[in-house]
Parts: sequence; structure tokens; C-alpha cells
Amino acid sequence: MAFESPNITASCVEATEFMDLSRKYRVTGVPKTIVNGSVEILGALPEDAFVRSIIAPPEAQQPQG
Amino acid sequence: MALLSDQDQQLVRTHLSGLSHDVRLLFFTQSVAGPETGLITKQILDELARLSDRITVEEVNFVLERDRAAAYGVDKIPAIVVLRDGEDTRIRFFGAPAGYEFMSLVEAVILAGGDDSGLSESSRQLLAGVTAPLNVEVFVTPT
Repeated sequence: MAFESPNITASCVEATEFMDLSRKYRVTGVPKTIVNGSVEILGALPEDAFVRSIIAPPEAQQPQG
Repeated sequence: MALLSDQDQQLVRTHLSGLSHDVRLLFFTQSVAGPETGLITKQILDELARLSDRITVEEVNFVLERDRAAAYGVDKIPAIVVLRDGEDTRIRFFGAPAGYEFMSLVEAVILAGGDDSGLSESSRQLLAGVTAPLNVEVFVTPT
């Protein structure tokens, strides 16, 4: 996605090396994707579903509290 | 001793043989009192660079070159920024790219060194409509 769009930055973060970040985003299972520090996507999705989740996340995916 | 077996090296070398652009991997690290994973990352990157003439690794001191790190949005190390013909692809790897993550790095290099995102037409159309910055962070583990 980062290759396709100049507005997207894609990072792969090794969870066990950055425990403070993993705790902040409550990463208990991987892969876990965080968009702009707020929207959470759990697990690996097929391409179409993943791209849609990144761009237009439904309300249900907002983290609680 | 190499991290990759001869067989794996040959496999990766084959995957990388089709690169049509130069890929530079900016490796942000700290030479003194840095995380141990920095050493592992350096070893992995050096091995990877040996498998293709189009791949180079540039080590950047995270402490001494803070401005450069900030320019690429690097706030933690070890970090790898993938450049294509010198330009930022906006692909980053944080932490040692070991295990499964190594193949993700190889795939990122192949993507950066190629000419196509490989995404479906509908994905491209959706992405074309993205105007606000999106920072996508995928948390993974080596196993």
C-alpha cells in the first residue's frame, strides 16, 4: 500500500523488542495492525478486506476506552 | 558463520535476481550502548546485501544523526528504511528482521526494486482516494 500511495507509510514492528509500544496498543496476538495510532485490526486479512479496513475503518474496530 | 544456509541464500538470490531498481536499506542504529538486536540486524542486512548487486546498506547513527532519523520518522532502533533509487518508499522495519520477518524484508526489497505494487485493481482505486496521511504499523513476532 505504501508503494501505491504517497500518503501511506507502512511499518513492521517487532513486538517483543518494543514492549512499551506493544503494551500501549495491547498487542497480545500478532499480526496486529494499528492505523494512525488509534484504529486496530486483528489478524491477517485478505487483501481487499485489509485495504478497506485501513482506509475506511468501521466504528466497530475502534478500541474501547 | 552465515545466518542463512547455502540453500536459503541461493533461494533468496534467485528471488532478488529480477530487481530493476537500486534498493538502499538505511539502517538506523547506535554504535555504543545500543540494543543487542542492532548487531543481529546488521548481520542480517550485510548477508542480504551480498545476495544482489542492487542492494546496498547504509548505516546511520541514530544518536549522531537525529535530524535524519526524524526526517524518516524513525523514533526507535534498530530501524530499516527502504529506499528505491534513493527515494523513500515509506516502508519501515523496526526491530531485528529475524525469522518470518526476514521474508517480509526480502519481499519489501523485491517490491521496492520492482515497478508494481502487485495489488488488485480495486485496491489501487481505493488507495488512489487516500489524501490524508495514514501511518500503518503492523506488529509481528519472529516466530
